[in-house]
Amino acid sequence: MDSYLVEILFGGFFALLALGAPITVALGVSSLAAMLYLSDNPIKMVQMAWSSVGSFPLMALPSFILAGALMEAAGLSRRLIAVAESLAGPFTGGLSAATVMACLFFGAISGSGPATTAAVGMLMIPAMVRQGYGAGYAASVTAAAGGLGIIIPPSIPMVIYGISAMGMQPPAEAVEAHGAFQSVSISKLFIAGFMPGVVMAGGLLAMNYIRSRMRGFHGSSEPLSIRKILAACYQGFWALLAPVVILGGIYSGFFTPTEAAIVAIFYTLFVGLVIYRELDLREVIKSLDTTTWLAGRVLLVLFTATIFGRILVENDIPGVIAGGILALTTNLYLIWAMVIGLLLVVGMFMETLAAIMILVPVMLPVAYMVGIDPIHFGIVMICTLSVGFQTPPLGENLFIASGISGISIERISLRAIPFAIASVIAIFIIACFPDIALWLPRVLGY
Amino acid sequence: MPALWSFLDKFESHVCRILLAAFVTLLFVQIVARQAFGFSITWIEEVSVILFVWFAYFGASHAARIAAHNRVGFHLNALSREKARIVEAVGDLFWILFNLVFIWQAIQFISRLKPFVKAQTLGWEMRHVYLVLPIAFTLMTLRILQVNYLKLVHGIDPADPDRASVEAALELAEDEQRAYEKVKR
Repeated sequence: MDSYLVEILFGGFFALLALGAPITVALGVSSLAAMLYLSDNPIKMVQMAWSSVGSFPLMALPSFILAGALMEAAGLSRRLIAVAESLAGPFTGGLSAATVMACLFFGAISGSGPATTAAVGMLMIPAMVRQGYGAGYAASVTAAAGGLGIIIPPSIPMVIYGISAMGMQPPAEAVEAHGAFQSVSISKLFIAGFMPGVVMAGGLLAMNYIRSRMRGFHGSSEPLSIRKILAACYQGFWALLAPVVILGGIYSGFFTPTEAAIVAIFYTLFVGLVIYRELDLREVIKSLDTTTWLAGRVLLVLFTATIFGRILVENDIPGVIAGGILALTTNLYLIWAMVIGLLLVVGMFMETLAAIMILVPVMLPVAYMVGIDPIHFGIVMICTLSVGFQTPPLGENLFIASGISGISIERISLRAIPFAIASVIAIFIIACFPDIALWLPRVLGY
Repeated sequence: MPALWSFLDKFESHVCRILLAAFVTLLFVQIVARQAFGFSITWIEEVSVILFVWFAYFGASHAARIAAHNRVGFHLNALSREKARIVEAVGDLFWILFNLVFIWQAIQFISRLKPFVKAQTLGWEMRHVYLVLPIAFTLMTLRILQVNYLKLVHGIDPADPDRASVEAALELAEDEQRAYEKVKR
């Protein structure tokens, strides 16, 4: 390996980030410098600009962003949350548990953490405050549960992980030591994410129960009403059908994720324009605009991260990193602890999708070398990065929860620490028992 | 004239709306044709991937106009805005440099593509399809200059779109809340 290559690639990358250059520029310029250093012809970039973005599975990204934006505008999200709210009942911490459930439901139509927090928080935070929960507690439970939006499929980070990981073949030594690895596909990730999402929600629910007990947040005086639940389900029928169509279509193998997203878009248009009549042309155009800049910025990072990753792999830098880690320890659990610790720190400072695109070429080969399944690794990675939504300084969910509740970001993030601890425990459980993630795809024959 | 300027200011956004609506609709037609009528229209997949790539790079240019590209900028918040703008402009200088190299390479690449290199089912010449790359990166470069001109000369920082989308999400959720309470009553 060339002596200065690592310094040029990573030194250039961090120097440019420090200058305040966008992440995509830091990746692109340091890769370009490395190409010139290696006397590679930079004309390769042009082909990569096309091939990195121009793939059919990647079209799931703008399609799911658009579907999510339309669902909010069409009034589907509100009806889903009403169903969760009707389940609160007279239990200790019942309403905050219903908030976690609402995020779980909402995660099944949305692939984004902040969108989940905004939609759920707007209804549930005031409701919790009315029932005597502390406003800070109400905001922190919503900010913490909002992260479930990216774990429960459909999930935009899973699309990006799938695309990044598909191009990475397991190294030959790893196959020799651990046998063949399964291939990565977005469908598989979507199926694998379901149970870990439930485990993460379970961790939050347990912590919520303990804290509500300690602080004496009792349920409402009225008992659980079957009639109320049925009424909410009846009013939310078309909204409840949306996750059934999306996930059912993918799990049964009827649709690819991209097709499921397209179907979700037209389903929402139909429900929003014909049945609920809450959607108008202005809102549709607004959704198209939001999708444009969100997708445009992610896909530009994807292009430059592809060049960066290619240079890393061609020069076997991940192999060197893997060798270094394996020289430190070969204990699988210690390696998991290092990976999760690093991801928690990165998640605090970097936008989730950019972090995935940068870290997959660096970390996935390490995972292969110690025999970790690529699907399992991706699920743990996404679960861990989801905690970053509730940790400052870059905690998007905190901004939203603070905007709704009027409580300062500092106070919410302090109150959210116990939930972050519960999530980290849940992540270690998911990491130590691969079957939590891998059982469902196996049963469904993927 | 102001109408023209405002159109040009959002040019990529208008282009992207059309491209996005087009490929999403085409894919839907494909799904309906396959599931309901049992035949597939072979050219749809190829044309929608091409429209998608065009959408991606024009979208990246629009994202540059509204300064949506993520930076890791917490240390810059400690500086005054005047100083931080200059540091960011230096960072953007590298962006422009990268784009210029890319545009030059793209022109080289396209001029070497022979006319018989065609899209498989559509038969479009690939050198025409690829032409969008230098065009979109040129537009992006102009947008970077435009944003920095606004920042350095006029002292106008573009609204943070992530913050703006949070506000939009809150606004939407408030509407939802009102509609919800109306139903309850």
